[in-house]
Amino acid sequence: MDHVRLRQPGESRVRQDAGSPFASAQAWRASLSHQPLKPPPTGADAAWDTVMSHILCRVPRRRRVLRRARQVVALEGEVAGYGSDRLVDEADRLRTVFRRRRETPEELTLAAAIIREAARRRLGMMPYPVQVAAGLAMIDGRLVEMATGEGKTLSAAIPAVVLGMRGRGCHIITANDYLAQRDAETMAPLYEAFGLSVAHVVGETPPDQRQAAYAADITYTTNKEVAADFLRDRVAMGYNPGVNASLLASLGGAHLRQGHTVMRGLECAIIDEADAILIDEAGTPLILSSQGENTDEKERYQHALQLADRLERGRDYRVDLKHREVDLTHAGRRRLTEITADMTGIWRGSRIREELVTQALTARLLFLCDQHYVIQEDKVVIVDESTGRLMPDRTWRHGLHQVIEVKEGLDPSPAQTTLASISFQKFFRLYRRLAGMTGTAWEARQEFQQTYRLSTVRVPTHRPCVRKHLAPVMCSGVDDKNARIIEDVKEYHALGRPVLLGTRNVDSSMALSRLLTEAGLAHEVLNAVHHEHEAKIIAGAGQRGAVTVATNMAGRGTDIKLGPGVAERGGLAVIAAEFNDDRRIDRQLFGRAGRQGDPGAARAYVCPYDDLLKRHGRALSVKLAARFFGPRAAVAIAQARARRLARHARKSVLRSDVWSEQFLGFVHPDH
Amino acid sequence: MAFERPTFSDQWHRVAELRPRLRSLVQSSRQQYRGHTWYIFRDPSNNKFSRVDDAGHRFIGMLDGRRTVDEVWKACCEQLGDRAPTQGEAVQLLGQLYASNLLEADLPADAAGMFRRRTKRIRREVGGYIMGLLFARIPLWDPDRFLNRWVKLVGWCFGPIGIALWSVLLFCGLMSLAGKGGQLVNQTEGVLSPGNLPWLYVSMVVLKLVHELGHGFCCKHFGRRRHAGGEVHTLGIMFMVLMPVPYVDASSAWSLPSKWQRAFIGAAGMYAELAVASIAAIIWANSASGTLVHALAYNAIFIAGVSTLLFNLNPLIKFDGYYILSDLIESPNLMQRSKDMLYYVVKKYAFGVKRPRKPTDGRREQAWLITYAILSSIYRVFLSVTIFFFIADKLFFVGMMMAALAIVGWVVVPLGKFTHYLTVGPELVRVRSRALGVTLGTVAALVVILGFIPVAERDRAEGVVEPREIVAVHAGADGFIRRMLPSNSAVLAGEDALFVSEDRELESRRDQLIARLQEMQARRRSAIVEETAEAQAMLEQVRALHEQLARVESDLEKLTRRAPFDGVWVCGSSDTSTGMYLRRGEAMGYVATLDDLRIRVAADQFLGPRLPREAGTVVELRARNRPDQEMVGRVTRVVRGGRRQLPSPALGLMGGGELAVSSDQQQGDMAASPFFEVEIEVEPGEDGSPPALYAGQRVVARFELGRAPLLVQGWRALRQVLQERFRI
Repeated sequence: MDHVRLRQPGESRVRQDAGSPFASAQAWRASLSHQPLKPPPTGADAAWDTVMSHILCRVPRRRRVLRRARQVVALEGEVAGYGSDRLVDEADRLRTVFRRRRETPEELTLAAAIIREAARRRLGMMPYPVQVAAGLAMIDGRLVEMATGEGKTLSAAIPAVVLGMRGRGCHIITANDYLAQRDAETMAPLYEAFGLSVAHVVGETPPDQRQAAYAADITYTTNKEVAADFLRDRVAMGYNPGVNASLLASLGGAHLRQGHTVMRGLECAIIDEADAILIDEAGTPLILSSQGENTDEKERYQHALQLADRLERGRDYRVDLKHREVDLTHAGRRRLTEITADMTGIWRGSRIREELVTQALTARLLFLCDQHYVIQEDKVVIVDESTGRLMPDRTWRHGLHQVIEVKEGLDPSPAQTTLASISFQKFFRLYRRLAGMTGTAWEARQEFQQTYRLSTVRVPTHRPCVRKHLAPVMCSGVDDKNARIIEDVKEYHALGRPVLLGTRNVDSSMALSRLLTEAGLAHEVLNAVHHEHEAKIIAGAGQRGAVTVATNMAGRGTDIKLGPGVAERGGLAVIAAEFNDDRRIDRQLFGRAGRQGDPGAARAYVCPYDDLLKRHGRALSVKLAARFFGPRAAVAIAQARARRLARHARKSVLRSDVWSEQFLGFVHPDH
Repeated sequence: MAFERPTFSDQWHRVAELRPRLRSLVQSSRQQYRGHTWYIFRDPSNNKFSRVDDAGHRFIGMLDGRRTVDEVWKACCEQLGDRAPTQGEAVQLLGQLYASNLLEADLPADAAGMFRRRTKRIRREVGGYIMGLLFARIPLWDPDRFLNRWVKLVGWCFGPIGIALWSVLLFCGLMSLAGKGGQLVNQTEGVLSPGNLPWLYVSMVVLKLVHELGHGFCCKHFGRRRHAGGEVHTLGIMFMVLMPVPYVDASSAWSLPSKWQRAFIGAAGMYAELAVASIAAIIWANSASGTLVHALAYNAIFIAGVSTLLFNLNPLIKFDGYYILSDLIESPNLMQRSKDMLYYVVKKYAFGVKRPRKPTDGRREQAWLITYAILSSIYRVFLSVTIFFFIADKLFFVGMMMAALAIVGWVVVPLGKFTHYLTVGPELVRVRSRALGVTLGTVAALVVILGFIPVAERDRAEGVVEPREIVAVHAGADGFIRRMLPSNSAVLAGEDALFVSEDRELESRRDQLIARLQEMQARRRSAIVEETAEAQAMLEQVRALHEQLARVESDLEKLTRRAPFDGVWVCGSSDTSTGMYLRRGEAMGYVATLDDLRIRVAADQFLGPRLPREAGTVVELRARNRPDQEMVGRVTRVVRGGRRQLPSPALGLMGGGELAVSSDQQQGDMAASPFFEVEIEVEPGEDGSPPALYAGQRVVARFELGRAPLLVQGWRALRQVLQERFRI
């Protein structure tokens, strides 16, 4: 329901270097990237596609990559003997091979060994065999699942070098601006060793540097930036019906409009935290918008909220928690007609009236402060459910955002006019080659296979994982659960072990923090509201006796290093106060413990009033599982149901993409 | 989204800045459908029609090529409020109009889209040809110019004068047929005789051509009067059950605002055809039987009658009647929408889909649609089965191929689509478990009801009523009839003389013999007295005379026939009168036990072996001529050996019965294959009255064959039919 909005920057566009021979090739590639997607199969083909994706995602690939990684490692001694001149010569030779895409498996093995050696010499880091395996898998266009702290940055550099040498650009998509910049800078010496240029594009990168950055062999950037640049290019190119029609038009004497584009086509991308981007955010449309006129809609929304307050739950409307929807009943509609009888203007028509009131009810009942959003500087800021982070660029669509702002007594932000939009799902399907890595891919491997043609490889950890998973604890209610959690924290604290207490939203993290204070436990809080000292808190979270209460912010991407003496006492203990809708998010949180062979423990608490069970616990299957197989099974089934629901939402995004492409094919292709 | 018609659409930005307008050539006309105003857009270049509702029309109307879509939409919202199209609806409308080539905008042509639509259309058409092999259409000729030239001359036919004249003509035609019903019916047998078939076909082509031109002229006539085109560009051949007949494309009728005119165009074919048939009726009535004119006129009446009643007027298949009905109830696209309505009901009430697409909001129209959907589906199944058997009888392989295609088209494909819808259809995402439950539950219930619950199985066979005992009475000796019991009188065994005849010669011979005997006895007495040896010889003579007399007496006795048993005397021929001469051995009539009847049933190969072995099984009986009266009988005997000699020729096909008879027997009382004879005794009625049966009546006996699930019964019946018809 929400989306990312980007403001269209002013006319400060890249001036096009008209004389450069690159310009036409760039336009050509860009046109290719703007070709409409092949529609997904229908009918029996679709069934075949689904069956094949189920089969292909189960093909074992792990042993093969590990064997190839061993071959690479076996060359270690030989390559270590190369002088720096020899290394450069070999690299030059390999570049021409890769540029022509005529490499043999042996050459690829040799290249990996040379990259490994170069990393040792230039970065002082020697990729472990598992990192090599991950890199080799990514060269093949696979999605690699590797545990936290296994060195994903270094793993990604191996395919980046190979793909960079192909000479068509390689985008490395990182989780945030900071990582993009940091990784680009850290890895630069390695790329320089192979004569590859590296650049990064972050939010602050000015438009005139972007073209150069995208022209580099390897570009570190974030999903938001790269998709936004793509959209801006598309708008700049104007109406472009794809390469075929453009060629036809140029035959007729028309000029292929090139516009001021910054990108040179979408060739290949290596996506870090691939599941977050390709699955969790897949349905979120990225919208390029311009500021609309400032209309006085505040009064309208206030009216709607007042009307909503005069309706009675159950009789006038029903709340569907599972699908997060409010529905007016017949009685509600009648009541609404009665109480708006003397109103004028838009309140005369029942459709718009009911829509506004339904929206007001949705804003009241389903969008809660400190849970779905926080208020910062008189603005409603969305909190991302899976990462727990603030998303200041995001807004809810179709006036919902404004209703929520009015509900909180703020001035509604002005309506925005959409210029172009694309969903991340569609955007990443436009790349010719995709590869990715994440800590948690296994649960969604079939979807990766079917939607993105990415098969998943699970790479083992460098050192065996000794994290202990304790059985989830079923509690009777929220108070009972909180009390037990506090007891648990006390026990670990008494042992001197650091505790990471994960919550689902800002609200409950604050509640638990209060209880901890009452119990006299010193702790840190990390959530969307309290995130100023994130780095410091994370650095301290592994120290002896530390207690950290955090939302999912402390999950994906955070690396909690253990303080001295902690490992001997049993390592970090992760306590999840609640299960998430997706098992992957839980695993991200649990994965904070037991990093790089460290000891650790993880345990979750469940109660019937958890969001997950409130939304999906009414299903018979969940009830039966809870009755006969215990909380773990019940949660697993509820999560499966939630996953199906989310997956359906993503599918409908795909479907509507296809629909609009076919039905509105006559207008600009997905502007 | 939780709203029925969300105002905003995510796709809006794609069309918001366009400045489209309707192509200048597009013609629009206003029509009323069930109280709502609709607009019909016609593309004159291909004579295709699109229907837009009032609000949509207002929206399209404001697009003038200068305003943007967004501006127009906002203006629409202000003017129409709730009724204004939502963004989503507007996007859809624009897309549809663009796809129908009705919209122009400052855009290059969407070549890819055009190719995609073309491929899709061709694929659909080819699919249509294969599936609708029975009703494939081949366009041949553009009759527009012809119609334009002649419509001035014939147009008046569709005006008031024409209708008045037509009524008079129809009346005359009917009057000339009045009183000749019997002849009319009798002559049907000749229609399908091989000699008449070519003539029949010629008559049909001519008559159907008249029919189609009737549509064409009528369409043209009203179209010209309304200046709404009325163009008719296609006349071709349609295969109706593999038989080519002409057809005409009168879809221009769509643009006429009056539903009566549209309905009249639909009826114009029959109108013209009936006019011809009326003339033919007059000719037929006034021509001599046996002439070609007479036969042709009859063909015309026959075709007009049969095709009008069975095909054209029937609204359940897509012929004239369908279009007339759909125009009259103001429900366009009736067939498709009635199906949609049925789906809507299932989705809404059985599956619990939250907001399924509803074909209409009008309650009365919903009732129409549902009724129509149910009736037409039943009729379709019935019709296709009939056609299948008809064709399979004539052309076995073609029939089987069609059956295979029909099974694919009407069973496999819809089943596949339904499975797909049920398992991955996006509409069911929230109610999938309920939808699956309802479907599986229904299927399970059906399987249990049809496949497991045994139901009494019945089968029927034909039999003939016979008296338990019957004897033909023959004349015992030559003679003249003297008196005779009237027919149908009850007789007692040995007592009542059925008829008495006399033989004067025999009588006088008897008298002579008696006289001689008396003489001889007298002479013998005197001879005994005289004690002559002659007496002994005379005794011999007396004896001989006695014997002779006894012989004559017995011959005389034979002149009187008495009932051999208690029963009813049925006189053989009515013209037997006193004084008639009878030859010995001549059949005179029957004595039969008419109040003690039994039924002999010939059960065929399928039924016979399955009959219960023991006697006493109760059987339901109905006389062929009195199907309202039900009687009960009991099986007394089942002759298990196969027989071929029928109890009565009346049971064989030649005698009007059901059993095939062997063709090398002229009498028609030899069955083609052996059967099992079942004897049934009729029980008296509840009040003890004797059953109202008559000897010689044909009776249908219904046997109870134990209980079996319906599915088993159906499967057996199907196999039986196939085996019987096609020997497979």
